[in-house]
Parts: sequence; structure tokens; C-alpha cells
Amino acid sequence: MLRIDEGSTRHWLLRLLGFAVITFIVVWVPTQMSSSRIGQFTDAFILMIAAMSLNLVLGFTGQISIGHSAFFGIGGYTAAILIKDHGWSPGYTFYAAAVVAFVVGCVVALPALRIRGIYLALVTLAVAVLFPTLVRWKKLAWLTDGSKGMDSVRYEDVPVWPILGELKGREGRAVFMFWLGLIVVVATYLVCRGIVKSRFGRALVAIRDNETAAAVMGVNLTTTKVLVFGVSAALCALGGVLSTLKSGVITPDGQYVTLLGSIVFLLVMIVGGAGTLWGPIIGGLVYVWLDNTTRDIGTSDSGILGALFGWADQSPATLILGLVLVVIMFAAPYGLVGLAKRLGRKVVVIVPRPVGSSTPR
Amino acid sequence: MERFFQYLFDGLSLGSIYALLALGLVVVFRGTGHLNFAQGEMAMICTFVVWQFNDWGVPLVLSIILGMIVGFALGAGVEATIIRGVAKKSQAGVFVVSIALFLGLNSLAAMIWGSLPPEQLPGLFPDEPDDFQRIFGAVWRYEYIGVLAVALVLMGLLFLLFAKTKFGLAMRAVASNPESARLAGIPTGIVLASSWGIAGAMGALSGTLWGGIVGELNAGLMFTVFIYASAAATLGGFDSPGGAVIAGLTIGVGEQFLAGYFPGWIGQEMKLSAALLTIFVVLLVKPSGLFGSTKVERV
Repeated sequence: MLRIDEGSTRHWLLRLLGFAVITFIVVWVPTQMSSSRIGQFTDAFILMIAAMSLNLVLGFTGQISIGHSAFFGIGGYTAAILIKDHGWSPGYTFYAAAVVAFVVGCVVALPALRIRGIYLALVTLAVAVLFPTLVRWKKLAWLTDGSKGMDSVRYEDVPVWPILGELKGREGRAVFMFWLGLIVVVATYLVCRGIVKSRFGRALVAIRDNETAAAVMGVNLTTTKVLVFGVSAALCALGGVLSTLKSGVITPDGQYVTLLGSIVFLLVMIVGGAGTLWGPIIGGLVYVWLDNTTRDIGTSDSGILGALFGWADQSPATLILGLVLVVIMFAAPYGLVGLAKRLGRKVVVIVPRPVGSSTPR
Repeated sequence: MERFFQYLFDGLSLGSIYALLALGLVVVFRGTGHLNFAQGEMAMICTFVVWQFNDWGVPLVLSIILGMIVGFALGAGVEATIIRGVAKKSQAGVFVVSIALFLGLNSLAAMIWGSLPPEQLPGLFPDEPDDFQRIFGAVWRYEYIGVLAVALVLMGLLFLLFAKTKFGLAMRAVASNPESARLAGIPTGIVLASSWGIAGAMGALSGTLWGGIVGELNAGLMFTVFIYASAAATLGGFDSPGGAVIAGLTIGVGEQFLAGYFPGWIGQEMKLSAALLTIFVVLLVKPSGLFGSTKVERV
């Protein structure tokens, strides 16, 4: 077992190694892989963003939300409406979507001030059910185009970024969306990290661990909860914008816009590791990989699975996904990051700096 | 006035189905403190089982009883094998597992029964076009009367089980303090598995009643009913069986009134949302539901 002091040269080298590995993957994927593969990574980015935003509210603050699909949809629809009806350039819609979702998030937070636990789960579930019906509602069709949704919401011509060179056609768009997605993921991660490591973040964890005690210690429950819901909704909306720009379409039944979206976000977050910064990132990768792999297995008739499920009328993909999720929860009850931390501790231990030492970070 | 009674009757019958499924949620929550997301899908699978037995020539009533037994076994089995193991380690894990069950059961039903022509589940009660009774000018179909009657009888039996039997006492003991209950010699494992089993059996019945009304079975049969049921459990208070029943009936009646009296603004499409919004407002005033107990916390 290796013991490394926090902040020592060896610790920094370890971090540098991690950073190098990630950079290598990030450069390798869009330059070497097929555009459908690149698209799957972008899908993972979208899920990571949504799951990171949910993690702020549920993982760190302990307020359950099954309503994040609505924030996701608000992001997507804000982008679609601004681009189609008002001729905005797609890039700017990220900011607008974040602002709109922030306001809605703050409003949704109001019941969380009074309602807790399983009751809050239902209130947020109501938000998730409400959003698609509102979009489909005929009285709002002038804005949202009702149940047929909005299409061709995408970059007509991919903007030219000096580093990437000129990108053309479908492949070019896939590569561009990958980099755009990566930027949003990094930005979201930095916002989450900044919040969690700050005084505000301590307040969030205090609320999660014991709300009453937090209030007694001087945490302002109202502002803290309202703000964290607002920020979380804004971040989730970024995922929605990205998803809409990638597919070019948004409908009330679209992917992640309905209640099922919220459920997928929760799965991604918990499977990755709730209350950890890297959990949603790992969870997003694993979920997209699982989803695609099970779908491939489900469509192939050969091999052991063909023998097992040959009788089935429909693809066993979702059943296999369900079984794998159960297995993961048995093996890693605190998520994959929790498992990795537990196993990693047997190989390397980072010894924290003694409390009160004045070495600058 | 005729419309008023029509909405009332329809609402009571539909509401009794929501109440049955909601009772299942409440029984599970009281016993183990979990929200079983797969409750609706367990009910859906059992409804298919009922159909299958009936299709093989078993009389319908017997098929339903067999379906409820399958429901009990499914619920108890899931609790004993999967849920308990994960719950020991992490509460969030239970949530994932119940979602996984939801996905898995849904997919399983589609795999087994998916490509058959839409199955017609025969109604338990006469449902010819002229099988109805006029009360105050409103049409009350025998089918709807039957659904309400069956649901109410089952709820009555359940309350007797909770209040009058030793098993009911054990369930309440486990719900209020599992460790003391175990020390007092109550086999907590069996009690917990049974509470999931009872929920599964009630789901089977509510699924069959709902399937009889809808007519065609498919894997998405119980999804909306599940949302109504969880709304009912929330409105009534998640630890109050009586509350779940009253709330289920109230939601059933309320949505009929909302959809019937405001066809332009609410209508059939928006009735679920309107009902949920109303509950939302009620929860702001009573955060633990109408009949739920407020949690007092010691710091």
C-alpha cells in the first residue's frame, strides 16, 4: 500500500497522470472514433450534466427531486423557441435557458421549504408529469407547437473554431457537438465543484445531514434551498439545450422530457455515486454504455442470450439493463465511485494535510 | 344534477381502483419505509397472469385468486431476495432496485405477451351496453358498481387484518420499531415479506379490475394508475391506510368533476395534471398529507 501526503509532489504527479489520461481519452474519441460512437459520448455528456445538476439537490442537499426532466425540457424548449421563432444563434440560447430554468427552479423550491422526504418526491413528480401536458396543451400551442413538437433546431452551419478547423456535414456536426458538450460538462463540473467546496456547499451538506441542526447553526434554510434548486435547474436546462441541439428535435414525448427522464437521471446519479463530484460523470458513461450494449445484445439472435431469450416476442434489452442495475446495487451500494474509493484505498492512501497547517493550497 | 351524480359514480369506481393500489404502497411504506416504484408493474404482470389462466380455461374468479397468489409470491419474493439485501447497505440503492424492477417487469411482460393481438380481459361483471342502473338520472353501470363493491370489501378485510388479528399487531409493531419487535420475538423477516406480498396481491386485484374496465391489456396498463395511486397515498398521508382510501376516492371523484365541468380548460388531457396541482396546494398547507403523522425530530 502506498501512502502519499496531500499536496506533496507525488500527489501532484498522480493528479497530473489522471488529468493526462482524461485528456488523452477526450482527444482520442472525436479524432479516432466513428461518428455514431462520438454521438454516444455526447449522449453521455448530456446525462452527466443532468445528473450533476440533480446531484446538487439530492446528493448534496438531500432534497429528492423527480422533477428534473421538466427543467431539462424547459431548457430544450427555450432553445427551440428562441432559435425557431426569434432567430437566435444557438450558442446564446444556453444563457437564456439557464436564466429561465433558474427562475422556474426557484419557484419549484418553494414547496421544498415545507414538504420533505417522500412527500417532496410526489410534488416534484407532479412537476415532471405536468410539464409535457402543459407543452401539449392546446392553449399553449402557439408557443410550443403542441404535441408534434419542434424540429430542425440545430446549427445550420457549424461555427468555425480555429482549433478544430473546418467541420463539414454530419460527421463534422457530430465532432462539433462533442466539443460543445464537453465544454458544458466541464463548466457544469466546475460550478458544482465550486459550490460544494464553498461555504454554501457546507450549508447544503448540513441541511442534508440534519435540517433542524443546520437551521440552529445559522444556515438560512429558505435562501439556501431556493438557490440550490435554482442553480440545479439552470444546469439541468443546459443539458436540455445540448440534447435539443444534438438531435435537432424536441417533442413533449421526447427523450428525457417525460417522467422517465427524471428516473434515468436518478439512476445515473445513484449508480455513479450520489453526493460525489465524479459520480454523475462515471454514471453517465456507464449508463450510456450499458444502454447501447444491452440494445445490441437484445437484437442479436446468436450466442447464449439468443438461446436464453429466443422465445421472447420482444427484445430483452430493458430486462437485462434492469438485472445489471440490481447487480450493481448489490456490488456497489454507494455507487461506482463509492466502490472505486473503497478499493482504491487498498492501493493508495492520500494522507490529508494536518488540520490548521498554513500551507497555501 | 344528473351530471353531478354521473361524475360522482364514475369517480367513486375509478377512485376505488386507485385506492387499492395506493393501499399497497402504504402497506409497503409502513412496513419497510420504501416507495415501491414497481408496484404498478407488479400489478400489470399479475393482470397478465390472470388473463393467461383465464385463457387456459380456468374460470375467471379462480384465475383472479390465482393471480393474487402470484402477486403475493412476487411481492414477498422480491422483498426477501432483493430489497432486503440492498436496504441493509443503502437506502438510495432500494430506489434504484425498484426502478430496475419497474423496467425489468415491464420488459418481461412485453417479451412474453407483447406480440399477441391485444388481449381482451373479460370483465368480472356484466358489461353489455344495457347493463346499468339509473340512479337520480345518472347511469351507473353494473361493472362500475361491482368494481366499487369488490374494492370496498377487500379494504374492509384488510382493515380487519390490521386491527383485529395478531398478524396485524405484528405488522404495526415492526413498522413502529423493528428492533424491539424482533426482541419481542416477532419474526420480522416474515412480516416484512408478507407486507410486500399483501401489496402485491392487492395490486393484482386492482390491475384486474382496471384491465376489465380498459378492456385491452398492454405493458403500460398501470402506469397512469400508479401515478394516481402514489398521489392518493401522498394526499392521504403515506403512513395512513384509511387516508389512502379516502384520498383515492377523493381523487377519483375530483378528477371527474374537474374534467367534466371544465371541458375546455382541463378536459381529459389535463385532468391528471389538475388533480396533481390541487394535491400540491393541499400539501403546502398539510405537508404530511391529510391523515399522515407529522415526524417530530430530536436534534
